[in-house]
Formats: sequence, C-alpha cells, structure tokens
Amino acid sequence: MNMKKLITMMAISLLALAGCAPSTGSGSGHIVMADAGWDSIRLHNHVVGFIAENAFDLTWSEMSGSTPITYEAFKNGEIDVYTEFWTENVAPYRGDVESGVILELGVNFNDNYQGIYVPRYVIEGDAARGIEPMAPNLRTVKDLLDYPDLFVDEEVPSKGRIYGGIPGWAVDEILYKKFMAYGFDDTFIYFRPGSDAALSAAIISAYDRGEPIAAYYWEPTWLMAQYDLVLLEDEPFDADRFHEGLTEFGAADVTVAARKGFDTEFPEFTEFLSNYSTSSAMTSAALLHMQVSGDDYLNSAKWFLREYDEYLDQWLSAEQAAAVRQALN
Amino acid sequence: MNWLYQFPFKLNIDTAAIDDAVRSFAVNNEAILQFMRRGLNGLLSSIHSTLDFIPWWILVIVVFVLGFLQTKKIKTGIVYAVMLFSIGAVGLWPLMLLTLSIVIASVAISLLLGFPIGVLISMNDRASSIVRPILDTMQTMPVFVYLIPAVLLFGLGRVPAVMATTIYAIVPIVRLTNLGIRQVNEEVVEAAKSFGSTRIQAMVKVQIPQAFATIMAGLNQTLMMAMAMVVTASMIGASGLGMEVLISVNRVEVGRGLVSGTAVVILAILLDRLSQGWVKDKEEEA
Repeated sequence: MNMKKLITMMAISLLALAGCAPSTGSGSGHIVMADAGWDSIRLHNHVVGFIAENAFDLTWSEMSGSTPITYEAFKNGEIDVYTEFWTENVAPYRGDVESGVILELGVNFNDNYQGIYVPRYVIEGDAARGIEPMAPNLRTVKDLLDYPDLFVDEEVPSKGRIYGGIPGWAVDEILYKKFMAYGFDDTFIYFRPGSDAALSAAIISAYDRGEPIAAYYWEPTWLMAQYDLVLLEDEPFDADRFHEGLTEFGAADVTVAARKGFDTEFPEFTEFLSNYSTSSAMTSAALLHMQVSGDDYLNSAKWFLREYDEYLDQWLSAEQAAAVRQALN
Repeated sequence: MNWLYQFPFKLNIDTAAIDDAVRSFAVNNEAILQFMRRGLNGLLSSIHSTLDFIPWWILVIVVFVLGFLQTKKIKTGIVYAVMLFSIGAVGLWPLMLLTLSIVIASVAISLLLGFPIGVLISMNDRASSIVRPILDTMQTMPVFVYLIPAVLLFGLGRVPAVMATTIYAIVPIVRLTNLGIRQVNEEVVEAAKSFGSTRIQAMVKVQIPQAFATIMAGLNQTLMMAMAMVVTASMIGASGLGMEVLISVNRVEVGRGLVSGTAVVILAILLDRLSQGWVKDKEEEA
C-alpha cells in the first residue's frame, strides 16, 4: 500500500511540475527594470513604469536581486533598464559603458550625499528629549578620533565602533581605507553592518534611545528625511585621493542605464529615459511621503508625478504628457 | 462572477502599531536588554578568547585524536586534521574561531533551554500542544522577520546573531528530546514505577538514559542548524566565515566565495562527525 501511495505522490509531483512549465518569453512591448533592493530605485521604477504604461503603451515588471546579481543580469540582457544606477558602487560600470556593454542614457540625479553621519543631538543636544550635547566640538570625521569612549563598541568595550559600508559595496572598501588612513585602527572597530536593513535598524534603534552612533549612510533615503542626522565634514573631494579614502564623498552620479541594443528596439522610450532627470530632494520627499502615509510604491509614484507635474513637460512630448496626466486623474 | 474570486472583505492590520510597540519596548526596557547584551557579550568573549588561546596545532591534533578514537582508523584522523588545517592554510583561521564561538554559544543556550522544555512537553500533553505550534513557527518564520526586531532590541553584531541562531536551532533538541522520551517502552517505565520509583526518578534514571541516543541526535541537528545560520547571521553584522561569504557574494567574487563557503562546509562536517561519533561511543557504553 505504501509503495502505491509513494508512486501516486510522485506522479502528482511530476504532473504539477509539468503543469507549471514556464510560459514562453514576453512580447516586444515589455520592459524589465532592475530592483536592486532599496526604496528609491523601486520608486523610480514605478514612476518610469507608470509613464511606460500610459504614454508608451508598454508593459513592465521588476526583477529583484542584489546590486551585483542584477548587474550581471543587466549585462546579459535579462534586465532592460536601471532607473537608479549608483555608478560609484559598481567598480566595472565605467569600463562597461565605455566598451558599449551597457548604455548610459542620462543622469537621474547627482545632488546626493553619503558619508559618516551622527545624530544631531550628539553635537547639539536635544532639550525636548532631555539629551545633553555629548560631543559639542564634533565637526569632522577626524574629530571622531577624540571620542572612542562615546561611540563605545559593546563587543569590545575598550574601543569605539564606527558602522561602515555594506559588505561588497564599493564604499565599504573606501571607508575602510579611510578608517586605516586616519588612524582609527588603534581606538576604533570598523564594523560592517551586513545589510542595509540592519544598518537602518541600528541607526533607528540608537536614535530612539538617544544614544550616540557614528554610521555610514546616504541620501536620498526616507531615513535621512525622517531623522535629523548630521553629515560629518571631511577633506574636500578629489577624484584621485578619494579612492584612497582621503577625501569626502563627492556627489555620486546616479544614472539611468539600459542594456545594449535597447535604444534601437525602443527609440521613443529611450529618448524619454535620456530626459528622465529628478533630484535627490524630490526623491527624498517621495520616500518620506511613502513612509508617513503608508502608500505603496505605485501610489507613491502617482503622488510623485502629481507633486512634480511640471517635470512631465521636460521628459515627454506634449501628447505623451497629456496621456500621463489623464491617467493620473 | 467577480464575487467568486474576490475576498468579501479586507482586514486592515495596524502594522504601524506593532512597529511602535517593538521600538518603545526597546526604549523602555533598555536596562534589562543591556544586561542581556552584556551577559551574552561576556559569554561570547570568553568562548572566543579560550578558542583563540589554544594554538592552532593543538586543535588540529585534538581533531586528529578524536577522529582516530572514534573510528579506530588513523586515516580518518588524518583526513579530519588535514581538513581543519586547510582552513588555517587559506588564512581563514581567525574568522573560523569567530564563527565557532557563535555556534558554540548558540548550541549551549539551545541545550540549556531546549532540553528541559523537551522533558516538560514529553511529560505533559497540554504543554506539548502549546509548545509544538510555537516550534513550527520558529522553524518556518522567515529569518529576516525576527532578525530586524532582534537588531532593534540588541543592536548589531554577534549578540542578535546568537539570538537568531538560537531561535532557529533550538527546535530539534526540543522535538527529539520529547520524541525520545515518549518512545521509551511503557513497560520499562511501569517496571521502574512498580519498584517504587517516583515520576522524577523514573524520568531521570530510566527514561532519559533510554532516550539518550535520540536526544543526542537532536543535539547534532541543533548543531547543524546553527551552522546553517552562519551566513544569515552575518547579515546583521556577525563577523566570521559568514561575513567573508557575504562580502565575496556581494562582489561577485566567485572564487573567494567558494573558498570561504568550503571553509563553512568543512567546519560543519567536522562538527557533525565528531558530535555523531561521540553519540555512538555513548550508545555503546549504555
């Protein structure tokens, strides 16, 4: 009896697998966008996707994965469009653009910031929450050297802790070089937070308790829009010395990119993507709206398009912009 | 026909209230949480510094001797020793010790909590019916769901890593302790009771020894589950072999990932074989 049952179960499994055979590839009017794992890229995907649907009559979907994995899929042509490419974070990007493996269509925004942040109450205190200033003279990254006891690492209580870059991001290497070059090694631990969700949770948790924390972070993000953190100053940006970790982070180019051959298949849509240009401030505002209102990405994208209505005329022809406006209302 | 496919109503769960509850819990219970953090940090530091104090070659010899004693074959001992040696040879020894200290701490906590719970639910069906769905939840709840609250409560690093690992790894020791004790022949227990044993005496002197092999199999599974959490734990900042895997994967450095991944496998195999062998020895004694 048991043998029979087993055979039946195996037959059912086989049927189930056969029934789920993947449907054949999507038609030509479908665009796959990269979801590399953070909020702002998903928001931009939904904004671009909403326009693709309503002004160009294209369908779209997202493919999720980490930055390196989506980048590989992008190079192989499985992903068509990257709406928010942090060029500094992917070392081979520049070379791949030059050799034509991928196409850089335009700059989404380049007014962003990243670096080491501390909560404002660490420097100025917060009377409303009853927090005294803990390090009133803290201005620059190097000043942190004076405060190993303030930013104490509970795992190694004799040293301070600086939360560094996410493992594998290009900034992680640069920050670690900075950490060594500035001489933090003797009194501080360079702590890799493991994932951006974990880093955000660490900052929020310290902020809620009014505790000091010194951590790498970046803008635009809802976290930076919601919490009051101060970017510590550093040496002026210099492209060569930056990679040795000796200067501040320059504003990184965050570009819109497409796979090879995309421009010939979708010339009109490519033109729109080349025009697609927003700003860090706009993106932050939309992310904060999403965090506060609890809207999903699609509704936040609609909010974004209504809020920054005038941009539609820059990105699109009059006819296309009208189609998007009609869909919004 | 739409009503056939659509749910008649939608419940709006106030998830924001849960967020706030977790965060205000973290703020309001800072003293207790800090006490737990310090305690666990102290435990981890002492395990790690003990491991770190032992010269590498002593550990290699210990593994050789244990392998030899278990199988009575010199070849097995040599294979084990070479495997452990190769972790050091590729420069991953310090990271392995960090990983090992997290695994040891998690398994120790799992054993100290899980074994008594297993005994309790084997004696009481009511307790069993309450605990078993909890165990199912702990095993199947996606790890990230409780990883981030663990970070909110315990910060980043090895303390929340031990917490998350324990939640995941404690299940087999509870389940198999329960199963082992329940499988002991009724008549044996009756015999013990007819000779005047109390319930506790029957448990300690008859049932637990009889169930020993199953309990040890549970411990071995707990150990393996703890090893399986190594990479996940590094996502909340626990350094060690898992972090090395994470870094290489995030950079698409396949070779480096393979080397560190192999080191995780070697460590897991050694822990598995050595703990299994130990069980067999005990069985033969019993």
